[in-house]
Amino acid sequence: MSRHSDAEFMATVGDAVIAKMPENRRVYLDHSATTPADPRVVAALLPYLTEKFGNPSSVHGFGQQARAAVDRARREVATLIGARANEIVFTSGGTEANNLAIRGVCEAAEAHGRHVITSAIEHSSVRGICDAWEKRGWEVTRLPVYEDGIVKVEDVQAALRPDTVLVSVMLANNEIGTLQPIEAIGNLVRAEREKSAHKIWFHTDAVQAAGRMSLNVETLGCDLLSLSAHKLYAPKGTGALYVRRGVRLAPQNLGGHQERERRAGTEGVPGIVAFGEAARLAREEMDQRAVHEERLRDLFEKGVSERIVDIVFNGDPARRLPHVANISFRFIEGEGLLISLDLQDIAVSTGSACSSGTLEPSPVIIALGRNDELARGAIRFSFGKDNTEAEVDYVLEILPRVVEKLRRLSPLNKDRKLEPVSVE
Amino acid sequence: MPYSQIFKDHLEHPQNGGELDDADVVAEETNPVCGDRLRLALKINDETIAAARFLAYGCPPVLVCGSALTELIQGKTIEEALQVTRKQLVESIGGLPLRKQHAAALALETLRSAIEKRKSGGMPAFPI
Repeated sequence: MSRHSDAEFMATVGDAVIAKMPENRRVYLDHSATTPADPRVVAALLPYLTEKFGNPSSVHGFGQQARAAVDRARREVATLIGARANEIVFTSGGTEANNLAIRGVCEAAEAHGRHVITSAIEHSSVRGICDAWEKRGWEVTRLPVYEDGIVKVEDVQAALRPDTVLVSVMLANNEIGTLQPIEAIGNLVRAEREKSAHKIWFHTDAVQAAGRMSLNVETLGCDLLSLSAHKLYAPKGTGALYVRRGVRLAPQNLGGHQERERRAGTEGVPGIVAFGEAARLAREEMDQRAVHEERLRDLFEKGVSERIVDIVFNGDPARRLPHVANISFRFIEGEGLLISLDLQDIAVSTGSACSSGTLEPSPVIIALGRNDELARGAIRFSFGKDNTEAEVDYVLEILPRVVEKLRRLSPLNKDRKLEPVSVE
Repeated sequence: MPYSQIFKDHLEHPQNGGELDDADVVAEETNPVCGDRLRLALKINDETIAAARFLAYGCPPVLVCGSALTELIQGKTIEEALQVTRKQLVESIGGLPLRKQHAAALALETLRSAIEKRKSGGMPAFPI
């Protein structure tokens, strides 16, 4: 059975069945969620599934071959962020890196204090750990962001206490891409530590930023930094935590000597090799990728502004990652838009409540001071190195029609003459 | 559970979306938990639903249930329409995941609310 649009109702909208992309290609605009593995990365990892299968802890040749590969990957990942190889701990991903950083520091530093400072827009892993720590009797200060989606350094300064042992603020937000003042916070924490021999460390979740902008842990002034491989064209299941020399960390995985006693368990060699190669490629191609993605993102945003009214762009337009656009479409719910775009082979993300499996809309968009309607109508478009201008054109053709169709069905839209809603 | 082809058809080509200039009754219900809204306008001739139109704000199942409900009830008498069950509505769209069942409940609640309002001779809830 196939339905056709109600002619009368759809007369002014036009049917949404539109020519597909050439070769029926699907348009993936969700690179902040994950990226496809680069074929060069896959080529690098494949031998480590087959002939080079050794356990890096083994003393024989098979083991030493794997050990050498892990060490090479460690150097590549370290180089990506200006760290030393022995400061990199491989993990199963960004969430584990965040767990190891926060839980590890808090457990090791508990004698010095039980206060953590974080922000209102952290990734759910950092939020979840802080919530759990609070239940254990720790105190957590969650710094606000303002309409620009950026934490203020003055707020960090004001929140510092003698019993603060950790500050954890993300480098770039995962929903709106805004860049946080990490360097300034790093300086502040360092000064605090030097001033009074205060045991305080600074962690930043750089999962979204790594590989997309130049990062150096010395300049940033962070003591711990989380990374994830699958955001930079390597497979899922591998991440890393940078741990500055001298930072004490209670391991969260026990029972083995791997990763300098900081993370027990046989190394996931193929994933680590892939991460190393992806880090190398990201470093070499960073500028061209960023320029390309930013150009597409800007073209897209300009096109959307010209074609669709009643929209609100979320996040500071300048201080953000080059590949992310986050737009709230008034009067409609994000998941309806997401699924409708999916039916046209366009993949995006939403912070709408339904889609996240919670009842509350995105805490990030709410933290910007937006109302529920704008939070529920927020869509993230995140571009990647392989997106093309033709794909942007295609999305710009489809998106206005889908938005218009959903708005024509929305009671909020019908009521707007009766109940004007103000948009900040 | 992936959405069915019927579900996708409703989403791409919603049936009976909009309002009725000559509605006899209009009702709107909101799910206070997640903020979903459904508005239903009915034209009733001789106790038979001659026309039904819906507007929806919420996740896709709300929209799809609105569209499917109008198809199910048009041509039915008021009493017959009241007999439509959640199971029937969900089956008519090829099923719904457990956590989306509330959308079907909202659609039927809106229908009952409209019919009650009509029976009590109430005025439409919204100016048309």
